[in-house]
Amino acid sequence: MSLARRAAGPWRALRWTVAVIYLFMFGPILITAAVSFNASNRSQFPPQGFSLRWWGNALSEEWLEPVLFSLQLAGATAALCVLLGAPLAFILTRQRFRGREVLVALTLGPLMLPALVTGVGLLQFFQYMGLRDYIGFPSLLAGHVVISLPFAVRTIAISLHGLPPNLELAAMSLGAGRARALWEIVVPLAKSGIIAGAVFAFVHSFTDVNLSIFLAAPGQIPVTVKIMGFLEFGFAPTLAAVSVITLIVPLTVVGIMQWLFGLGDFIYGDARG
Amino acid sequence: MIGIGEGRSGLRWLVLALPCAVLISFFAVPNVLLLSASFMRSEASVLIDEFTLDNYQDILSGALFRGAMLRTVIVGLGVGALDVLIAFPLAYFLVRTQSRWKGLLIALSLAPLLASVIVRTYGWYVILNRSGAINQTLQGLGMIDQPLALMPSTGAIIIGLAHALLPYAVLTLMTALSAISPNLELAAMTLGASRWRTFVHVVLPLSLPGLIGGFVLCFSIAISAYATPAILGGPATQTVATLIYTFMMNLLDWAVGSALAAVLIAASLLLLYLASKLGSQRTAL
Repeated sequence: MSLARRAAGPWRALRWTVAVIYLFMFGPILITAAVSFNASNRSQFPPQGFSLRWWGNALSEEWLEPVLFSLQLAGATAALCVLLGAPLAFILTRQRFRGREVLVALTLGPLMLPALVTGVGLLQFFQYMGLRDYIGFPSLLAGHVVISLPFAVRTIAISLHGLPPNLELAAMSLGAGRARALWEIVVPLAKSGIIAGAVFAFVHSFTDVNLSIFLAAPGQIPVTVKIMGFLEFGFAPTLAAVSVITLIVPLTVVGIMQWLFGLGDFIYGDARG
Repeated sequence: MIGIGEGRSGLRWLVLALPCAVLISFFAVPNVLLLSASFMRSEASVLIDEFTLDNYQDILSGALFRGAMLRTVIVGLGVGALDVLIAFPLAYFLVRTQSRWKGLLIALSLAPLLASVIVRTYGWYVILNRSGAINQTLQGLGMIDQPLALMPSTGAIIIGLAHALLPYAVLTLMTALSAISPNLELAAMTLGASRWRTFVHVVLPLSLPGLIGGFVLCFSIAISAYATPAILGGPATQTVATLIYTFMMNLLDWAVGSALAAVLIAASLLLLYLASKLGSQRTAL
């Protein structure tokens, strides 16, 4: 039997396996979406009839408020992660110095330890430092920045790895100061990495549950935590609709950023790093 | 010649001061506080400044805690094994395919990461609950009279988490598999090996670090996941993560909650150490 024929059969079987795996991946998400258009007031599949009632509930103030809160939180997290992460990434990729290993461990630490543990620790931190009044948005922001920072730093570091340091050196030998070389050469060239880092931080913050459940306060609740709270009382289709909204937000953000700046390489690149 | 910031360590630490301050005060210090709380006594939901090992003794001897820890390990093993098993064919396909949809297919396989774990778990609730899709179908076909109690159960938690964490395994395996030259497989097949034999003797051994890495990664995320066990499990199927929540937020016993969290820290560090010993690498810096 020829090489090509020997290879063809198993490959076809593999293709079918892959199709089934994609079905497994997207089935539950599509089911959640289908339930949100259900006419019956139970979370049923297949849906019984068609209704937009649950979407009406989901788009009421009760649910739009936490969605908006999560958006603000994720936006602030993304901005802070870039401001803190870009200098970290630059120094860690370009320089060798004493204490570097400690700095790397500190930066990647929140990725290594469970976010849930960081949440528990931060709750105690705010309590014991007399910062009880800051539990809510400030504590959530602190936690989200810490757990999202490793993603931003790694993504920015990958884009800096691809930039020869000679570019900065050339600018400086031509008389540019350090700040000017950074701002006019490094930042524009690393732009897509920086934006990808911000997007990862945004998505990570917007979808977090494990840390946020410990740090929310009345009136300052991320939408994921609010959904968790309501699930205890049952699975009303409204929650399915809200869940779909929490899916649409990151999809839109990534879509727009991809369209404007092209992030494709980084989605894969981040994983390879 | 001197690069930007090089040679001036004063400037370097000035730039690093803010990120370091944030990481130390909101990551390092809270973890130290947590560890110290785990050695304190808790009375009427107030921590007493008095050294004790009672919390650890409690969680290592109490049936509730031991049950939860055992279940958590089972969940971790189940999720890790299931994810590696499902991710392997997908990752292999994505690395080797010459389809012009390759980029789209890769993006699709990672897209679930954009959805909160709640969206992904909700679907499993709809499938698995007493009047859910599976029970409706089986009853409709007349195969069962009474609905099956598919959830809350440890099995439901494992399936839900395996589904939620699959993209991590796919990513890890794709990285490992893309480092294996297709020429090695071609060479084996040219020499007469069947596709299957090539797979077992060439591809599988070379991708072992990726398999181990994917397994450990999924295991370690699974043992600290809260949302999925909370939704698909119940009071009878507590995991360490759901117990931590109960003790911290409902019972306000922060000493025991912290000791349980310390167990998760220890487990994560141990896994990290194992992963580095077994040769899988995951750090960029």
